[in-house]
Amino acid sequence: MPENLVSFIQVLRTHDVRVSPAETLDAVNVAAALGYGDRQRLRDGLGMALAKTAEEEAVFAQCFDRFFDRRLADFDETVEEKLDPSATAETNDNPSEAPQTDPAVIDNPLEAAAADSPELAALMESPLMQALLNNDRNTLSLAMGRAGESSGLEQIQLFTQKGQFTRKILDAMGEEQIRAGVIALEQKNSPALPQLQRYRDILREQVRDYVEAQYLLHAEGKTRQFMEDVLSKTRLSNIEHSYLHRVHELVRKMAKKLAARHSRKRRQYRRGQLDMPRTIRRGVVNEGLMFDVYWRRTRKEKPQLLAICDVSGSVAAYAKFLLLFLYSLQDVLPRVRSFAFSSHLGEVSDLFAQHPVEKAIELVNWKYGGATDYGSAFTDFASLALDDINSNTTVILLGDARNNRGDPKLEILQSIYRRARQVIWLNPESRRAWGSGDSEMLRYQSACHFTAECNNLKQLERIIDQLLKSTR
Amino acid sequence: MDSFKKELTFVHTQAYPQLASTDAIKNGFEAFGYICSEKIATAVFLASQLRKPILVEGPPGVGKTELAKTTAQLLDAPLIRLQCYEGLDEAKALYEWKYSKQLLYTQVLKEKLGDLLQGAQGLAESVERLHQFGDIFYSEEFLEPRPLLQAMQEERGAILLIDEVDKSDYEFESLLLEILSDYQVSIPEIGTVKARSAPLVFLTSNNTREISDALKRRCLHLYIPFPTVELEERIVRSRVPDVDESLRHQLVGFVHSLRQLDLKKVPAISETIDWARSLLLLHADKLDEELVRSTLNVLLKFEDDIEATDGDLRQLVREAVGS
Repeated sequence: MPENLVSFIQVLRTHDVRVSPAETLDAVNVAAALGYGDRQRLRDGLGMALAKTAEEEAVFAQCFDRFFDRRLADFDETVEEKLDPSATAETNDNPSEAPQTDPAVIDNPLEAAAADSPELAALMESPLMQALLNNDRNTLSLAMGRAGESSGLEQIQLFTQKGQFTRKILDAMGEEQIRAGVIALEQKNSPALPQLQRYRDILREQVRDYVEAQYLLHAEGKTRQFMEDVLSKTRLSNIEHSYLHRVHELVRKMAKKLAARHSRKRRQYRRGQLDMPRTIRRGVVNEGLMFDVYWRRTRKEKPQLLAICDVSGSVAAYAKFLLLFLYSLQDVLPRVRSFAFSSHLGEVSDLFAQHPVEKAIELVNWKYGGATDYGSAFTDFASLALDDINSNTTVILLGDARNNRGDPKLEILQSIYRRARQVIWLNPESRRAWGSGDSEMLRYQSACHFTAECNNLKQLERIIDQLLKSTR
Repeated sequence: MDSFKKELTFVHTQAYPQLASTDAIKNGFEAFGYICSEKIATAVFLASQLRKPILVEGPPGVGKTELAKTTAQLLDAPLIRLQCYEGLDEAKALYEWKYSKQLLYTQVLKEKLGDLLQGAQGLAESVERLHQFGDIFYSEEFLEPRPLLQAMQEERGAILLIDEVDKSDYEFESLLLEILSDYQVSIPEIGTVKARSAPLVFLTSNNTREISDALKRRCLHLYIPFPTVELEERIVRSRVPDVDESLRHQLVGFVHSLRQLDLKKVPAISETIDWARSLLLLHADKLDEELVRSTLNVLLKFEDDIEATDGDLRQLVREAVGS
């Protein structure tokens, strides 16, 4: 069972539930403590050890049901129902034969046919057929599981592979023999034919369901991971609209990851510990009497992030994502102020805080979209936020620095540069294009601590990560 | 069964016969008026078997803290509670040195210093002599245990409740890691202090912020949702036994439909119980609109919420009475 549990955990991991090796051990211990008798209780217990948030718990429950349920429960009924000669029309499909058969043969034409043919008799004796005949679900599901394992079903990745795997498993289980039997009966036009066909169909159906379930279990997560991987490396301007919601999820995830990694050191309180060295030192003047007590205290640091985003026409394709990222970042990090501009600039933090993401982005675009003028945008920014910029402030600029040949007002950026801890400029254009045409990037670059080309999510994540590391 | 206990052999674990099976736990809790679901019982069972902390999450007022209290009652073990808040640090949670005592002793012992150093030749020898006494001021004598350390010093094993851990800082969470995984603390001046008996730890969180993965990894995770109607009726019956059957059914039904609305703060179990008590005091035997309107402030704690429900009240009451 532990192996089974381990492969279950593997499945959980492909579905984005993070399970550490220590938690795997916990799960094994939980299973040992609870036993395998009570399915519901085992599920609850494993859930507690493996899923650590409400979302993870939902994923866990789904995976648990898919993984530990081979869906053979209704097998019994299917067989009973289909074997009932009066209930199935198929037996009567051959009117020419029906009158000839005597009641004993109707009861079990297959056995009667087997008495005539040694091959069919051998088939009837085979473990697979025995399992089908006797309704032995356990044997069947075991055989199916083994066949699945030997054919490498766990590696299934694409839905197009489903047919191929179904075939492989059927072959491994020995379905060929049944198929041969069906052909033989067909040639003889035997009354036992429909019955054997039904057994064959049942088997095929079961295997198909099994493959389907395994596909959902193993491939769904992988496909998603694959998609995310691809999306995060695609140029933002090339991502199709239909994938936007996925990107949104991805960006949120990224922002959350970054926030979790970097928000730990935000606050520090340390009042209440005696500063012994200082107390002793000050005690010297009182002949060593430690009269005045000094307490240790660490400076509270509050890093602040100001993000300015260009939403003008020239960067329209990127602006959506940058705003999305800003929105997510503000959602997960405290003390982020967001600004947007094309010709004039305004603070959009409140818009982000009040509206859901799509609406907020739309509003920002509508309110601030237009032709670019970095000069006036900087002037607006300076009057809004320059006083708040201090050595704890990081300023991020997102834009292409294409100023339509207007006054770049470099001196404002320089004054920001002097006050802030860090000024970072992320430009969606490739470095080679910087300074070409109306791009003022090379001039602005002189007043930035860090500039980078940023046009896909991977780059964005890496840069922000780096930046947050240094703001600590 | 015993294999997984091996890793804890260096810390004594008190065995609790009261927690021997989930049914025993359920019945035991019920005797103390805590009606719990199968899942909660399973969590407590696993916590005592594997001796792992439970991180209890859920909306406010579903009995997270009560779970720890009831466990302590059931086991007749001391409950040590640590309420978390922003700025909580190790000096308040774990231990502190008794500074005034240390200072006092330095003064008292100063006079003895002369006797000690008598006959010592030169500075080097004096210092050497002093070294022989070790760090007497940093010994357990001068240690002031705070809740976490107290829980570990309990001879028979304590129930440690770390309440609202989401209110504390990230740094504090890291402080908990050593205690929760190994039941020991490192005090720089003394060394590692192991628990006399591993406590049963409950952490509660209202999810105001995400708890770090490291902490979550060390805990069993238990989410307590609002109870089902049946379970809540049983809870009310156990807490307010004098309320008669039909009123109980009506009031629980009403609270459940309130929870479906978009409210700032939906009523929790504790509010349902308070409301049942209030209705009992008013000698009500069935719900009607007027009665509900006049007592609604027991259930809803925001004026906005009360106003928002006002329009639907008649409908809600009718449904609850009809159902």
